[in-house]
Amino acid sequence: MTNHLETSEMLLNMGPQHPSTHGVLRLVLKLDGERVKAVECVIGYLHRGVEKIGENRTYMQFAPYVDRMDYISAVSNGLGYCLAVEQLIGAEAPPRAQIVRVLFAELNRIASHLLWLGTSALDLGAMTALFYTMREREEVLKIFENYCGARLTTHAFRIGGLQYELHDTFEAETRAFSEMFKKRLDEYEKLLTKNPIWVERLKGVGILTAEECKSYAVSGPMLRAAGVNWDLRKAQPYSGYEQFDFEIPVLHGADSYDRYRIRIEEMRQSLRIIDQALERIPSGAIMAKVPKVLKPAPGEVYVSIEAPKGELGYYIVSDGSLHPYRLRVRPPSFVNLASLEKMAVGALVADVVAIIGTIDIVLGEVDR
Amino acid sequence: MLETLKRVFLLDLLDGLWVTFKTQRTSNISTEQYPKDRPKVGERYRGAPRLNINPDNGETLCIGCDLCAKACPENLIVVGTERNKETRRLDLTYFTYDLSRCMFCGLCEDACPVDALELTQDFEMASYTREGLIWDRQMLEEGPRPTRYTR
Amino acid sequence: MSQDAKPAPVMATEAWEDGLSDLLHSTFNTADTTAILKRETFRGQAFATTAADAFHPVIAWLRDTQNFDYLVDLTAVDHPSDPLCFELVAILYSFASNRRIRIKTFFDAESKPASLTNLYEAANWLEREVFDMFGIQFEGHPNLKRILMPDDWQGHPLLKERSIVDMDQDWVQKHLGIESGQ
Repeated sequence: MTNHLETSEMLLNMGPQHPSTHGVLRLVLKLDGERVKAVECVIGYLHRGVEKIGENRTYMQFAPYVDRMDYISAVSNGLGYCLAVEQLIGAEAPPRAQIVRVLFAELNRIASHLLWLGTSALDLGAMTALFYTMREREEVLKIFENYCGARLTTHAFRIGGLQYELHDTFEAETRAFSEMFKKRLDEYEKLLTKNPIWVERLKGVGILTAEECKSYAVSGPMLRAAGVNWDLRKAQPYSGYEQFDFEIPVLHGADSYDRYRIRIEEMRQSLRIIDQALERIPSGAIMAKVPKVLKPAPGEVYVSIEAPKGELGYYIVSDGSLHPYRLRVRPPSFVNLASLEKMAVGALVADVVAIIGTIDIVLGEVDR
Repeated sequence: MLETLKRVFLLDLLDGLWVTFKTQRTSNISTEQYPKDRPKVGERYRGAPRLNINPDNGETLCIGCDLCAKACPENLIVVGTERNKETRRLDLTYFTYDLSRCMFCGLCEDACPVDALELTQDFEMASYTREGLIWDRQMLEEGPRPTRYTR
Repeated sequence: MSQDAKPAPVMATEAWEDGLSDLLHSTFNTADTTAILKRETFRGQAFATTAADAFHPVIAWLRDTQNFDYLVDLTAVDHPSDPLCFELVAILYSFASNRRIRIKTFFDAESKPASLTNLYEAANWLEREVFDMFGIQFEGHPNLKRILMPDDWQGHPLLKERSIVDMDQDWVQKHLGIESGQ
């Protein structure tokens, strides 16, 4: 007589309205007890057709839309788009504009990582971190608001440079933030880095080796946590990143815990860049000579930057008219999320939450 | 050995708890008491649109050039003009601004050659109807009138 | 802003000349077959155009012998006025040599290009997106179905024949109860 219980596979729908899928991601989990046997991501709930909108707007008009893809790092999106169009028309932003862009992009990286840290800690039950990270993120958003008049969907840069000159209090505000934030980062580490619960929940969870990362075209902190020393700011510097002295944190654990540590360290490095950039903002023009009506010659470019989530690329095809003929966005979240179908296999259901957390997706960008 | 002891006595956890404890002081509260205290928004804040008038004679600054409507990614501005026979200029007849589609990108403001259209620091624009969000010239010149709640 | 009829605009490209370009030419172009049709650069970015059936082999060769182990992006462009109406673009990156190149191919609406999923895992979702947006069928894809649009959506939104306001009216009416468009 066999004495085992009859088990059967179960299909479990997780999301799209689930607090820890960070938006409207739906997962169809095939479960054997608590173990995940297969995952299927169902996405597209936030699809707005950004690429189609791009084909129906002029180059200048499309700029505000890119803020709405990865809405927690809108500045980086805008930077990538401006760089892409600038390369297409053969223009370059003046040195002052480039350094200011770097400053804002790095502030935005901190804001994005802070939101990630708060929410993914919340997913795992560490509620306190969320309040602290939101408090610090507020300071960054205040700097954005004072500079360009919006907190989230900033539309901070324009094609060819900047629209706004730095506001008078910018330097003082940013210095104060940098001073304060160094101490706060240590506080976060005290809260989490050695916290036994946090370590237990993340160590060895969601392993994606370097080879798999490359095959899945994973980029950003996930790739660097797998031991690949690759960051576009160093590999193919843009907007004057080559002038700054900073390090690319690399760890070899390839698991969720190392992704967390990479992001913490990246915030430290961003502060280093900010401190250096504040010292050397050159004077001069903030806008290159760009025609008011943009009509790029026929051509195509692919320009990518290191957004907080990974490689964000714009592939723009121009047919010589006012509108882009084709505007493709290479979203880091979308490509990174594809690896979930591999990482989550064999994990527990609760680990899936941790894994989604450390991929750091924004559904606005996954679905576009 | 030290690590094990630390784990047994939950020292790492206490470290974190100390951080939480330090934040308990009431002077550390950073919550905003809206609507009791209205937040002060940045000087460049892009909020409710306004059509500026000349304070001396009350005439509109708008010259009806239609540049804002052309700049707008959402095509939500409609400018109506009429050619004035005497001054040979364009007179503004109507101006509508559909706030329900506006994303406050500021491109119209940038495009305006005479600083007539401006995004102001007002941020209370809610309306009970969709039609209420389509602002005409009068509304744009006078600005929004948010409901004041009193006890 | 003159609107007079001009000949179709052409990209002002320059020849792509370096070791990799020569190697591509010597490996794939023989006396009687030309698999690599063009090797160009624009704004310093190199790209090669292959014959439709050479797309997969060229990328496989680049991956296996030239270390292009990272499929950055795979996307398509619709050229409805052309008989070869689809352009498929793969952007490849090599960590070893820190360079990025594009491989393109043109084919007609009936053709089914070979899927890159056996080379790169990343191609899975990217090809699904291309299928969703353009209706390009990939031969050998394990799970080719819509990814962003609803499963019962009709048509492929990024085709040039679809206007931005004229989408699947029936679907919108059935599920949302409103008229599509602005």
